[in-house]
Amino acid sequence: MKKILLAVFGILALAFATLTPAFAQSKGTVYYMVPTLLDEFQTGSVSALELFLKQVGYEMKTLNADNKTDAQQSQMNDVIALKPSAIILAAVDFNALKPSIEAARAAGIPVVEFDRQITSTPSDFTSVAGTVEIGYVAADQAEKLLKAKNGSVKGKILQVLGDPGDPYTLDIQKGFEEKMKAFPDVKIISVPAMQWEASNAGTIVADQMLANPDIDLIFSHAAHLSVAAVASLEAAGKKPGDVMLMSSNGAPVGLDLIRKGWLNVEVEQPLYAQAAAVAMFMDKVVNKQEIKPGEYEVLGLKSTVTKEAWGPNIKIPGAAITKENVDNPAFWGNMKPPSDTVKPIE
Amino acid sequence: MNPRTRHALEFALDNLVWFMLVFVLVVFSIFIPNYFQLGIFANIIEASSVLGVMSIGLALVIITGHMDLSVESVAALGAMAVGILFCSAGIGLGVQLHPEWLMVPVSLLLALIVGGIIGVINGYLVVKVKMSAFIITLASYIWVRGLVLVISGGRSAQDLAPAIRWFGIQRLLGLPLTAWIAISCFVVFSLIMAKTPFGRHLVMIGGNETATFRAGIRVNRNLVIAFVLAGAIAGLAGWLLAIRTSGATANLGVGLLFNAFAAVVIGGVSLKGGVGTLPGVYAGVLLLSAINTAINLMGLPANFTQVIHGMLVLAAVLLDAFKQTIRQRLA
Repeated sequence: MKKILLAVFGILALAFATLTPAFAQSKGTVYYMVPTLLDEFQTGSVSALELFLKQVGYEMKTLNADNKTDAQQSQMNDVIALKPSAIILAAVDFNALKPSIEAARAAGIPVVEFDRQITSTPSDFTSVAGTVEIGYVAADQAEKLLKAKNGSVKGKILQVLGDPGDPYTLDIQKGFEEKMKAFPDVKIISVPAMQWEASNAGTIVADQMLANPDIDLIFSHAAHLSVAAVASLEAAGKKPGDVMLMSSNGAPVGLDLIRKGWLNVEVEQPLYAQAAAVAMFMDKVVNKQEIKPGEYEVLGLKSTVTKEAWGPNIKIPGAAITKENVDNPAFWGNMKPPSDTVKPIE
Repeated sequence: MNPRTRHALEFALDNLVWFMLVFVLVVFSIFIPNYFQLGIFANIIEASSVLGVMSIGLALVIITGHMDLSVESVAALGAMAVGILFCSAGIGLGVQLHPEWLMVPVSLLLALIVGGIIGVINGYLVVKVKMSAFIITLASYIWVRGLVLVISGGRSAQDLAPAIRWFGIQRLLGLPLTAWIAISCFVVFSLIMAKTPFGRHLVMIGGNETATFRAGIRVNRNLVIAFVLAGAIAGLAGWLLAIRTSGATANLGVGLLFNAFAAVVIGGVSLKGGVGTLPGVYAGVLLLSAINTAINLMGLPANFTQVIHGMLVLAAVLLDAFKQTIRQRLA
């Protein structure tokens, strides 16, 4: 009996011994407030942030707001009471979370904004690809595709938005339509897919292809909407290449559609680089050190830190993925996290 | 009032939702460009297949005087289970069976079993443990959606096996087979409700559970069967949903529950139980689908869809009250 007890205590002691250094190495706990987990980009952001923050010595915990603003506000209040080293916020609603950010900073907890930029109140660091900029990149690609097909930039585009209550999709729309204004011969039909639900997008495409059979390009604001769009096109007897398709966010399903010839372009959000940038600057954020403006290389991407009215802001360019570069492992949609270790900025 | 007028009035009251559907289709065809074409009408029927099937299960439970809020999440779980096994991209395992057609019954059976299991849990807790159907099925609505998230990890399955996807592409008389499946379900369950003792017992239970019990009818057994059927039918809706979108995402089917409720109420099923027919529910589903299509073609902001759905439900409830008043006068 004694031997058994000794063995159990021995194992426990060994377990503690292995755990203790891990605790000692941790620089602190960072909370990530993710807006939803019903989306591949967001799910990917959790694992990417966790991976990179661990490399620079932080433990990360995630709270999911299920796309509910009030739930995220409550979570912010709870996390403030826990006094973590920092909070990373991907806000459900860009404006409604402003008081929560202010409350956290007033309690001495730095706030990092991830993916969704909030400009109405200061924060300690912002890492974004820029949703409006995604719209710009998409517009550049639409220009090229229409020119290649019709000889000049003219034609009809069906823009399948996400949920009309989500500022993320509205910003992409804003950027896209702002740039496309330069081409008066392009007609854009915009229809939102309620709650980002794929079958809603499928219905929109099926209806619009009947009402407007001359649609040249379908631009969906998320790759999973393109999957349903393709299903509707297929059901209508279309083949890859009959209608040009483009979507944004760079999810794995979008890359698969490029490989199958259905999707012409996927505008990538540089998820890995966005997450790596947060980890690289986390020491400076936590220790409240100055983040200097300038150019930084984040996972090989040239990124620019600027000093904005709302604080230091790093903008990482989104890329256009086509069949020529679809297999590049740097795209998060290929699900190959970078093997290089991220190092904190000195 | 002479018998002929009375008969005509009763016929109109019984089929009010069908008249509303015809009226709406005529108005939209006149005023919305490109609406009046066979392809658009086929789209309306096709787009209503998933919602229609889901509404059948929901209507069965509501007719018994209970409710099932879990149908939307159950459909999503059914779709995800099929997607994970039979999709070849994303998180799909790409399971292959030989001969290929075997994947159709296996995937369908899987979706039905998944839905049926949730139905058994709901039915047992509501009927045997005597807990509130609202609370139990609300809990299922939440935990089943959570389960979808857990098994998918938030990722999606894509590229459904062609043998299964065939039902979404192949057309018969201009309609995809998925739409025919939904229509067949309505025909079969309408006959069950109207022509079999089981169907009549469900209506009786909804009308007066105690009186039905005293008449020697096995109320508990029939209620459990209604919940299991609702679950299994939701699983079938999930199977159709996976076919329609060629896979499954974690948020697949979000919002369908409220549309299903709207269709059931517009279709003339009383939330108090004991009243309602499935053809009326199908008319309600088609009406919602016709309006959605109109909104898509008009390019109205989608928020209008919800406003119009809400107004329609309100109008249906008011009409129902109006119908009851007229019936009382006729009696």
